[in-house]
Amino acid sequence: MNTRPDIYVKNNRNTGKRSVVAGLTLLSILLISLPPFMGPYGESMITQILIFSIFAMGLNIVVGYTGLFSMGHAAFFGVAGYTAGIMMVHYGIVNFWIIAPISIVLATLFAALFGIIALRVSGLYFLFVTLALGELLHSVAWKWRSMTGGADGLTGIPYPSLGFPFNMNATHFYYLVFIIFVVSVGLLYGIAKSPFGSALQGIREDEHRMQHLGYNTWMYKYLAFIIAGFFSGVSGMLFASFANVMAPEHLGVHTATLAVLMIILGSDRVFFGPMIGATIVLFLQYYASTFAPERWPLILGTVFVLSVMFLRGGISIHLIKFWNKMGSWYASTKT
Amino acid sequence: MQALKLKGLSKNFGGLEVLKDISFDLEVGEHAAVIGPNGAGKTTLFNVISGALPISSGKLEMFGRDITKASTHQRIQYGLGRSFQITRLFPDLTILDNILLALHGTKPSRYHMFRKVVAYDGIMEKAEQLLQQIDLWYLRSKKVKAISYGDQRKMEIIMSLASDPKLILLDEPTAGLAIDEIPSFINTVKALSGSTTVLLTSHDMDVVFGLAERVIVLYYGQFIAEGTPEEIQADPKVREIYLGIEENEGYAES
Repeated sequence: MNTRPDIYVKNNRNTGKRSVVAGLTLLSILLISLPPFMGPYGESMITQILIFSIFAMGLNIVVGYTGLFSMGHAAFFGVAGYTAGIMMVHYGIVNFWIIAPISIVLATLFAALFGIIALRVSGLYFLFVTLALGELLHSVAWKWRSMTGGADGLTGIPYPSLGFPFNMNATHFYYLVFIIFVVSVGLLYGIAKSPFGSALQGIREDEHRMQHLGYNTWMYKYLAFIIAGFFSGVSGMLFASFANVMAPEHLGVHTATLAVLMIILGSDRVFFGPMIGATIVLFLQYYASTFAPERWPLILGTVFVLSVMFLRGGISIHLIKFWNKMGSWYASTKT
Repeated sequence: MQALKLKGLSKNFGGLEVLKDISFDLEVGEHAAVIGPNGAGKTTLFNVISGALPISSGKLEMFGRDITKASTHQRIQYGLGRSFQITRLFPDLTILDNILLALHGTKPSRYHMFRKVVAYDGIMEKAEQLLQQIDLWYLRSKKVKAISYGDQRKMEIIMSLASDPKLILLDEPTAGLAIDEIPSFINTVKALSGSTTVLLTSHDMDVVFGLAERVIVLYYGQFIAEGTPEEIQADPKVREIYLGIEENEGYAES
């Protein structure tokens, strides 16, 4: 009956998928084999990129998929970081298998509590309520000197111990972060492609219509908020040991802005977009702090404005367009 | 048991009474239409039945269940479906994603987090069948914002029928359809199972008289008349609303 051509061409899709799988495999092999050759700076750089990628990709479940602009998830990043740090510095508990669950669960519980408050409002008000809740914790970290070290920060946070007989060094820690990163990306990918993830995008497009299809949209937004809180916690817990220090700014607007910037720069509509954003922002930050530390905000601001002007929708979208163009150019040379 | 029961339903927007003390029942399997001039309150009536707006006073029952205070998504889970006069789809998602959202919406799978949305065989079959029906299956990987308005209208109707609702509200379903597509729409509605109750509004009297066994007339938020299409066509009050008062009867003679 239907004589029109099926433009949903299976082969195209599969080659697309194949190149993604190939790219990911190559990236994994690189990430696994590089550390001995990279030197301490490169290793620390990539560790940091992976940690912030978990944060930004997790946050993108709320910002990109659900369309809720949260400025508050740095709070959960900070809660996990401070919890891990306080346990290690003040109580001498360094076992990763105790620290990780406690700090991540605590961050998730904070997200569950803050979510109830923040989701009472929407739009710009949501942004400001999440911002305010983050600043609330920021000032707690600032004032509670005996626990958090106040403005000086909580210093001397060591690497956790996995229970192995050797002491963890930077390379071991890198591999720990890498494994957690792979698991997190797997979980996030599952969520993004599931009926649940699909429903989040529906809510972003038209929440009212979603209710008319039978979706309890509040519950979806709430769960998305908590899921992002969970991954912020994972990331924050790792960050504490990576940086050796937690400071009040890690809970507040500074870190929140950085995470949102990574998402916007990289693209909120592409699954790996926030990771690309994180890579760019952290590399810029690294070089800026080496050559012109006092100019960092200026450089970041300029890059942000330029990318909004010339790379609408995020860098990843333009990378994909470029990749496809190269693909069709390559195909045309063969005929 | 009635599919829908409205008891003294009123809706005010501030001082403006948009619906005044409306009461009527729909039997299970009945096809009824609400008509009335612009501003009669037809869409508002649909909005209070679907729960998009809270009612100011009165009572609503669906299949014997009091739904006056139920939220929209609960009403959908109880078996309500609704299409919108102004197309409301998910423009940045593909046609397939749109229809899958509609199909998962009333199933427990809507909360699943670790299985691909396209990995449910039964739901995919249903999606293919629905999209073949409106000849859009071959375009399923296109974003909805990229297809024609007529196709979007067809999507709108298919989306509201996807979950096999027991009671369907169709708000101006044929607005925006090409004239030659209207008979196929009428057939779609007629082909619904006999136990499906339909309430629709339309400015197209061919649609109203082609589908409705009973017609309800609203005028400025007030219930004016109800009856079979023939009774309504003959009703002097309805003629007055639609055609105006024949006060100059002698005019032609002079």
